[in-house]
Amino acid sequence: LFQGVRQAQWLTKTKLVEGLPPAVLSIVDNPAHQLEDLEEKVKHAISHARLWDTTEVAPRRERYCPVLFEDLIHLCRLMSMKYPSLTKRTLARNYKISATWERESILLQVRGLNGILINSVAPIPPVASKEEILDTEEHVLETFYPISPTIDLQEVHVYKELNDTGFRDGYPYSHPHTLFFLESANIRPNRFRPEQLRAKMLMFAFGNALAKAKVLYGNDPKVLEQPIVVQSVGTDGQLFQFMVFQLNTTDLVSSDGIKNLVWIDSDQNLYENAQCVPEVKKRVVTKPAGIYGFQPDTFKKFLALYLHGTV
Amino acid sequence: MAASGGRRLLWHGRCWFSQTESAVLPQPPGSLYPPIVASATAKSKAAKRRRLEHFNQRVHAAASIEEKLRLYGQLQRPKYMLYPQTFALNADRWYQSFTKTVFVAGLPPRAASAAAKGPGAVAPEAAKTPEGAAGVAPEAAKALEPRTAAPGAAKIPEAAVRAGPYLDVGELRSLACDALLQECFYQHKKQPFLHRRQDHTAGPFLTQLVSTLVAFLCGRNPLLAASSLDLKPEVNYYWHHGEEVVVHGYRKGRVDPVRFQIDDHPHLQIRVPKQLPQIVPLESDLGDVPVIDHKPSKLPLFKKQYENKVFIGSKVADPCCYGHTQFHLIPDKLKRERFLRANLEDQIEVLYRANGIASLFAWTAAQAMYQGFWSEADVTRPFVSQAVVTDGKYFAFFCYQLNTLALTVETIKNNPRKNICWGTDSKPLYDVVEDGSVKGFNDEVLIQLVRFLLNRPKEL
Repeated sequence: LFQGVRQAQWLTKTKLVEGLPPAVLSIVDNPAHQLEDLEEKVKHAISHARLWDTTEVAPRRERYCPVLFEDLIHLCRLMSMKYPSLTKRTLARNYKISATWERESILLQVRGLNGILINSVAPIPPVASKEEILDTEEHVLETFYPISPTIDLQEVHVYKELNDTGFRDGYPYSHPHTLFFLESANIRPNRFRPEQLRAKMLMFAFGNALAKAKVLYGNDPKVLEQPIVVQSVGTDGQLFQFMVFQLNTTDLVSSDGIKNLVWIDSDQNLYENAQCVPEVKKRVVTKPAGIYGFQPDTFKKFLALYLHGTV
Repeated sequence: MAASGGRRLLWHGRCWFSQTESAVLPQPPGSLYPPIVASATAKSKAAKRRRLEHFNQRVHAAASIEEKLRLYGQLQRPKYMLYPQTFALNADRWYQSFTKTVFVAGLPPRAASAAAKGPGAVAPEAAKTPEGAAGVAPEAAKALEPRTAAPGAAKIPEAAVRAGPYLDVGELRSLACDALLQECFYQHKKQPFLHRRQDHTAGPFLTQLVSTLVAFLCGRNPLLAASSLDLKPEVNYYWHHGEEVVVHGYRKGRVDPVRFQIDDHPHLQIRVPKQLPQIVPLESDLGDVPVIDHKPSKLPLFKKQYENKVFIGSKVADPCCYGHTQFHLIPDKLKRERFLRANLEDQIEVLYRANGIASLFAWTAAQAMYQGFWSEADVTRPFVSQAVVTDGKYFAFFCYQLNTLALTVETIKNNPRKNICWGTDSKPLYDVVEDGSVKGFNDEVLIQLVRFLLNRPKEL
């Protein structure tokens, strides 16, 4: 997407709020939710993914990005010692989503195999209060005239307007909880820039929420009584983008009325640098191998997003 | 003199051990003449022995484990590539002879974790005890671990103190069924790629099942709470066993050790920072190793020359350097229907056993090498690991204890120790999945899997 998040906001009729919502921040700050030796374990996870995982000297991004994600999710899952309801979640890889909606007489749709999804039995409770939702009515979506909002979008002929959550009816884990996007291409041009990654996260979170809303409440556009919340995390192995999206309305044809809300926390570094081989200048080791600039807050936010909805 | 010429070659400060061969006269201390030893460069058997001795000393004296592994696999020569998942007939007997492994049918009794399944699982427990008893009978004559000798009644309160509330088999069953249904039935997926049905259904199901079970059981097993889960790791091991004469080439006629390399890619593995306890003492003898009189290339095995790798799944610096459990997925081209169509029903079990033996030998031996042991410095404590081999529906469980790494021609002469592998036949986890429900779910297989995951050292 050309304009990044601004364009995605217009397409999904969303208002942006910087930073994570207070409900998630309270989980971050609550010391009861910490793992023991949290920093140790996260450092081991990062070292394993970036330094130790391969027979070669240094693993490539295609290898270390998914491995880092798996290790962090493994650490989060170990929290189910304390919260047994965390076992009511499943991870789905390579699942297909499709959602269609109309936006001021332009038909848009989101489709595709897009990464990894955590489903849960119980939905996440709405994050924003009723007043905040009503406040969005006055907010005006920014347009970027003369650039059309649908620039850079692929125009295809669709013969079936599909709305599919990716799972059949009767699936017990029916509520999408968190989406994960791993930018693991080796070459930099093949990876999304952070801005575009955030836009992609927004579009897919919106698509998931919309498909779920249509399944629950039918195809008629209306304001939802129970807003649907879907979270999203995107990373390229070092930088993390966190996002919480709340779908308040499926009435997307007009540009006024209640809008959807999104909270974005962008460009959180988990560590500054991972040195695989010690740096040697003039026969003296200046920088031994290891992980530098580790920031535990990023993992705390990751864990908070994982725990959100069950604590 | 030839002796002084030989000594000059090794002038880079290596400590000198005089040879104790019959040709050498030990010089009295204070002698002005250097010790008389065989040449290091001559084309003679004594010179070859001296070069080998020098190489062994270099490896013994290596500064770090990485240096030791580098020296161990430095010389590249053509070697046989062993594939754990193979269609070769009777491959398990061949692999047993290559790795000096005794295969014992049935699993060793695990009374400590069996006691953790309390009154919440009475009916499956009654089914378990005859199976456990059948496993005990062949080993009843041998000395077993002191913990298994403790009376069963005393263990249950002890396990209750440690394990907390009893495990609910119903909940485990629902977790497993949910994972299975999600992969087979509920999720919309494309058609599987040709001959890749295991990536489509069985692989994701196994990953999902193991990760949810590990999360569920980590409260009971603190070892799992400190574990590291690898997806599609690489496990490699390189060793020498036996001797042969080089057939053709410029080295024709020379006597060479037979070199083997295993490059394994398990689907999933759990590595832990503490070692699993030994099952039987180090010097136990539970059976015989099959002797195969043919050359390894008759299996068929093929030779190639490439890097000699020893790897457990992560480098030496990783604190989780011991193995707990591996999960192997049988690929689609080795599925049961193919064997049945070719009238080779007995080879189905051979495939599972060969996979278990080869993969676990490679993994435990690589773990031992990471601790500094090798064929000249044999292990002082046994290394134990477990594996589950499955094709999505049928599960076979294996347990391996590595007692010796000394498999080369010189070291195997006076080595009475043998490696031991316990294994079961493959049993189905369920009958069929249709209309959103799993028919014929087999609790025993699930409980065996849970037992494997709950295995931990005695202190924890």
